[in-house]
Amino acid sequence: MFTEELKAFRRLGFRHVLLQVLNFASVIASGLMIWKGLGIVTNSESPIVVVLSGSMEPAFYRGDLLFLTNPSSEQYKTGDITVYKIPGAEIPIVHRVMETHDVPKSIDIRKYTKSKSKSKPQPGEDSKQDNQLLLTKGDNNYVDDIELYQGLEWLEKKHIVGKVRGFLPYVGYVTIAMNDCPQLKYALLGGLGLLALIQRE
Amino acid sequence: MARTKQAAAGSSNANSSSVNGSQKARSPSPDPSDRPLGPLAVTVPAYDREVVKVNNANLTELKNACDDAVKRFLSRPELFKQIYTHTDVRLGLGWLSVFVAAGTAFYGYKIDFEQSKPVVTVGLILYIILTVLSTLYAYFVEGDTIFVGKRKTFSKRIITERITLSSSTPPTPKVSSCPSYSVSLHYVRSTNGGKTLLGRGRTKGAAPYNKFFDANGVMDQPAFEKWVGGLVETAMDGKAA
Repeated sequence: MFTEELKAFRRLGFRHVLLQVLNFASVIASGLMIWKGLGIVTNSESPIVVVLSGSMEPAFYRGDLLFLTNPSSEQYKTGDITVYKIPGAEIPIVHRVMETHDVPKSIDIRKYTKSKSKSKPQPGEDSKQDNQLLLTKGDNNYVDDIELYQGLEWLEKKHIVGKVRGFLPYVGYVTIAMNDCPQLKYALLGGLGLLALIQRE
Repeated sequence: MARTKQAAAGSSNANSSSVNGSQKARSPSPDPSDRPLGPLAVTVPAYDREVVKVNNANLTELKNACDDAVKRFLSRPELFKQIYTHTDVRLGLGWLSVFVAAGTAFYGYKIDFEQSKPVVTVGLILYIILTVLSTLYAYFVEGDTIFVGKRKTFSKRIITERITLSSSTPPTPKVSSCPSYSVSLHYVRSTNGGKTLLGRGRTKGAAPYNKFFDANGVMDQPAFEKWVGGLVETAMDGKAA
């Protein structure tokens, strides 16, 4: 199969090869841009996430796909399901908000968070909206998330990746499979690449 | 020698006119004595023709095979030199958009989300603009064009020729009949640096695919080249057959 393709490439010339590679590269580029565009539109670092644990059953099961948004004017309320990421932890966690405390702009929030860092507040953070202190808990857990906060007493809005707006069941198992077995990822990418390179529109 | 070849070209014109659809030519008719070599007159000694075999049922493959055969046929030495402007514009815009996308994604990966938002937005908008431009160019400016060629010959003066070919597969009205390959040529001959127009011709032709492809999908290249060559020579003569 390959010798025919190589012969065809040599016959059709350098520009044709460039065009075919461009086909492949532009598929990848458009995928990247759609992902980044979604992140910008939803104001969330990672607008689509996969549920990895069973801590939110029976609402969400392992393998569900979640859609998040994070509008900057959002004030989270008790009962919202949020995805948050603790600095220092690799994996974001999806749990429900149990308690919220609104902190108006005038008050320095670090008085209440006992955060270990001595750094000044970054510009752009908490500048326009009231900040919030949040406590979360998984529906299927017995205790709240204090153990997971790695020393923090409360979550702040800057830790929240987004609030769950919708979900698709089971679709996330593809990502879980690809993470558990990297060969699958490379095989899929390789197969797609081959297809794009060989076909002519 | 040239006269017998021209006579052969004339008879092949008569043959092909019975299969062709419509043809029209525009005045002024170029002076026949001035006429540079047409593609049928240039016989290349039996060169290594690669067998072209395609999937008979796939219309895209059939059309691509015909387009490639046209490009090979008309780019032979002594004939036209292909101008790659359309391809280069598409390649340039496409690769630029790929690099913009890669740069934006890399920047977003390295820098924190909040800080990277303005730059990523700019990159995204740039990517969208480039992609839209490329699509509009391919649709409106390039259209159906498959070959743009130019040739400079010197007989009594320097003659510049420019030929543009576009092809398509028009939808067939009846389910049972075979789809056809429709090609349309535009030919201009000028001299004096393009300022004096010597002749112009426009030809259209259509032939069903089963004339050039057999049951296995092997392409009959000499027959195809004879048909296309006849059309090109008609356009070069500037008169309807």
